[in-house]
Amino acid sequence: MSDEELAKDLGLVSAMTIGIGTMIGAGIFVLPGVAANAAGPIVVVSFVVGGVIAMVNALSISELGTAMPKAGGGYYYINRSLGPMFGSIAGMGDWMGLAFASAFYCIGFGQYLAVFVGLPAVGFLNPIQIGALLAGLVFVGVNYIGAKETGGVQTVIVFVLLSILTVFAVAGFFSFDYATLAGEGGLTPFGAGAILPGTALVFVSFLGYAKIATVAEELKDPGRNLPIAIIGSVAIVTVVYAILVTTMLGVIPWPELSQDAPVAQAAAAAFPSSIGPIGGVAAAAAAVMTVGALLATASSANASILASARINFAMGRDRIVTNWLNEIHPNFATPYRSILVTGGLIVVFIAFLGRDIEVLAKAASVLHLIVYALMNAALIVFREADTPAYDPDFTVPLYPVTPVLGAVLSLGLVAFMDGIEIALSAAFVIAAVVWYFAYARNKTDQQGVLSEYVRSRGDTLPDQVVGAADAVAPTGTDGPTIMVAVANPRTESALITLAGAVAKHKGGRVLATHIVTVPDQTSLATAAEHKAELDTSSERLLSDAKSDAEAFGVPIETRTILSHRGVTEVFDAARSHDADTVVMGYGGTQFAGGRAEGTIEELTHELPCDFLVLDGGSLDLSDVLVPTAGGPSSDLSAEVARALGDTIGVDVSLLHVVAPGGEDAGRTFLREWADGHQLGDAELRVESGDVETVIGEFGPEYSLVVIGATERGLLSRIVRGSLAFSTINELETPVLLTERPSSRSLRERIFGRR
Amino acid sequence: MTDSADGADRDLLAHALLPVAHENDARRTALALEPYRPERVTTLHVVEKGDGVPDKTPVEQSEEMAEAAYAAVRRVFPDADDHTAYARDILEAVFEAAEEVGASAIVYCSREGNRITRFLSKDLSIGLVTEADLPVIALPSPGSDG
Repeated sequence: MSDEELAKDLGLVSAMTIGIGTMIGAGIFVLPGVAANAAGPIVVVSFVVGGVIAMVNALSISELGTAMPKAGGGYYYINRSLGPMFGSIAGMGDWMGLAFASAFYCIGFGQYLAVFVGLPAVGFLNPIQIGALLAGLVFVGVNYIGAKETGGVQTVIVFVLLSILTVFAVAGFFSFDYATLAGEGGLTPFGAGAILPGTALVFVSFLGYAKIATVAEELKDPGRNLPIAIIGSVAIVTVVYAILVTTMLGVIPWPELSQDAPVAQAAAAAFPSSIGPIGGVAAAAAAVMTVGALLATASSANASILASARINFAMGRDRIVTNWLNEIHPNFATPYRSILVTGGLIVVFIAFLGRDIEVLAKAASVLHLIVYALMNAALIVFREADTPAYDPDFTVPLYPVTPVLGAVLSLGLVAFMDGIEIALSAAFVIAAVVWYFAYARNKTDQQGVLSEYVRSRGDTLPDQVVGAADAVAPTGTDGPTIMVAVANPRTESALITLAGAVAKHKGGRVLATHIVTVPDQTSLATAAEHKAELDTSSERLLSDAKSDAEAFGVPIETRTILSHRGVTEVFDAARSHDADTVVMGYGGTQFAGGRAEGTIEELTHELPCDFLVLDGGSLDLSDVLVPTAGGPSSDLSAEVARALGDTIGVDVSLLHVVAPGGEDAGRTFLREWADGHQLGDAELRVESGDVETVIGEFGPEYSLVVIGATERGLLSRIVRGSLAFSTINELETPVLLTERPSSRSLRERIFGRR
Repeated sequence: MTDSADGADRDLLAHALLPVAHENDARRTALALEPYRPERVTTLHVVEKGDGVPDKTPVEQSEEMAEAAYAAVRRVFPDADDHTAYARDILEAVFEAAEEVGASAIVYCSREGNRITRFLSKDLSIGLVTEADLPVIALPSPGSDG
């Protein structure tokens, strides 16, 4: 079995359990009383309408989920499709929606807990809030420690719940009385117009099916299991709700249904007080229901906290939030910071909004509904843009009716919410947009399919549309990492100057690394003991680098790396930091030592990225000479020259060496080459003779000579010292060697760049 | 297992298996092992699976952690191999991996933390030393944080 398959261990039942376990919770155990009070017996229809809206969205999520079985779910699809601005809204919406939902579940837990034990009121918190806070702290604590047993319990809870509810429905069937259901005011005492506001209130009971998509990457055979689990869990839950609510209302007249713990109350009424000689059956049934309610709300809250960590991870991966949030706890192996932050939000929501359970329930629903609407839009964009990578196993029926209907129903339901929840949600949406422009836009490099689509059709679409797409597009895209391997103070400034110029030119950042090579004979532990001395020299070097780079106005990070390997560590560091260009000194290539020569050769034959190797201590840049004969590495030389020209204002001269008599053809080539590399302003020189002689002759007139490695593996030969490159050895002028990996696809294959 | 049969003429550190949890743990363990000059090193990271329930962390994130841990070991032992296992029972996965790669010994550095943290994070030291059918080497921690 491949690793890929081993990582997938959630079967269909587990997936359904996640959906059903999250949905059956505080919604059904708490809200029927409140909702029936506002809508009358017709509230059953409110639940069914909620199920229908959830089902339409479930179809869309199934399609998106089978196309992209990735951690993050809704956020991930929206970010890929509509771009990071909507991605930020979706991520924030999903995250806050989950926090509100969790707070709601905790309040539900508190309400049923208050039935069991007397809780005190503390300060401005009522007893239910105290119970909710305790519950919230426990749920967060369990997730912080990451007790994996909770997961197994979840499956048991769902089956126990479904059994309890079935027994209740059967008992209720026998005590069911239509007259009780219809009551005095008929089925619609407040008119049919009360149905949709009722749905708006109880929709929170359907939040959960989308959570299955957030763990899609762990699902076995997601193409089959994901749609079945999502659609199936919505169908099951809708039926369960319809039966339960009907039963409750047929047992207890709706105006008398408890606002706090209606299921326990209905159970007490549905069961006979004694069966034969066994007394206290009704009281026992009510107690079992209460336990069931506690379990159900606990499992909902638990699943929601876990799902919010997934969304944080997905957002961190796209750099919409800082990855600080997703740090893994060293002992518990849990994303503890994400869990703590979410936990903090839950506590705040319970404390300040927990008095009115409706606000929490509806705020959770509004935020989720916004995300659902965006998800439907994302689906339409994927289909219309005809993205080749978009290949779902499950497709929604009746496209485009289904996604359009999903978006309309979702936003339509928001209209039935109250002002306060809409205002709260709007505040979070605005916060997300502000966050995107203030922070994430410069960090993320994900451009959505929509914006690619719009920007690539700039000619055929109205200017306003293209302008709008440009205005919200991420700016982090063109931010390459220029890694500098600084070795000693003598060359530090020259290397940073080069890296700074390239970084500034491309809008990237500089990563200065000081790789301290420890001889094999010295253990790294011993070396670490001398860390103090090392640190000061390393620190000084890197802080010099920092101030040099900051003089350029480019962002810089610094790192000290202790290693047995010298130059090969440069490759590893370049790889692990995702560097796009490495700048190092020629001297630096010499410290390779005898170890693992084969590895070096192998590595240098397959460069991880562009390499710039400087021979020369200090730079006083005024003009550069770029000899060229074409080829990928001279493309790189041209980029460097352009960067130096643009940022430091050096004059660029291009040199093309030809065989005697080839001057005219050479001139044409060089003119075209200069124009093709946006170096039209450069001075052009075509000379005849031997390449090295000519360079040796003209080089000294310049402050830097930039030479592209025309042969693949040039760098590797320099590293091994097998190449006596006379130009470098004889020239007084600093020489910058450039080498670009010969095949981009090779590099992509090795490093899996997207 | 044939370990007991040819164990006598085998070097204990002929092939050390390093089960590591994360980058710091990997660095600490590798640094602690370094003075003993093992012949061959394989780094093992066990991705803890929920086995029927969602994991504590997304798989992708676990795999990123594994990569970082492998890189940290390679910094000390450039030729170290790596091995990723996916399991709910970490201990069992370590033993299985040891058999699979033909390790001569399992080498670990006890994790930091007080008794309660160790209990809660299910410190595996005891299980490793009591249940293994091959040598298990517990290394002293190389000072604070290597």
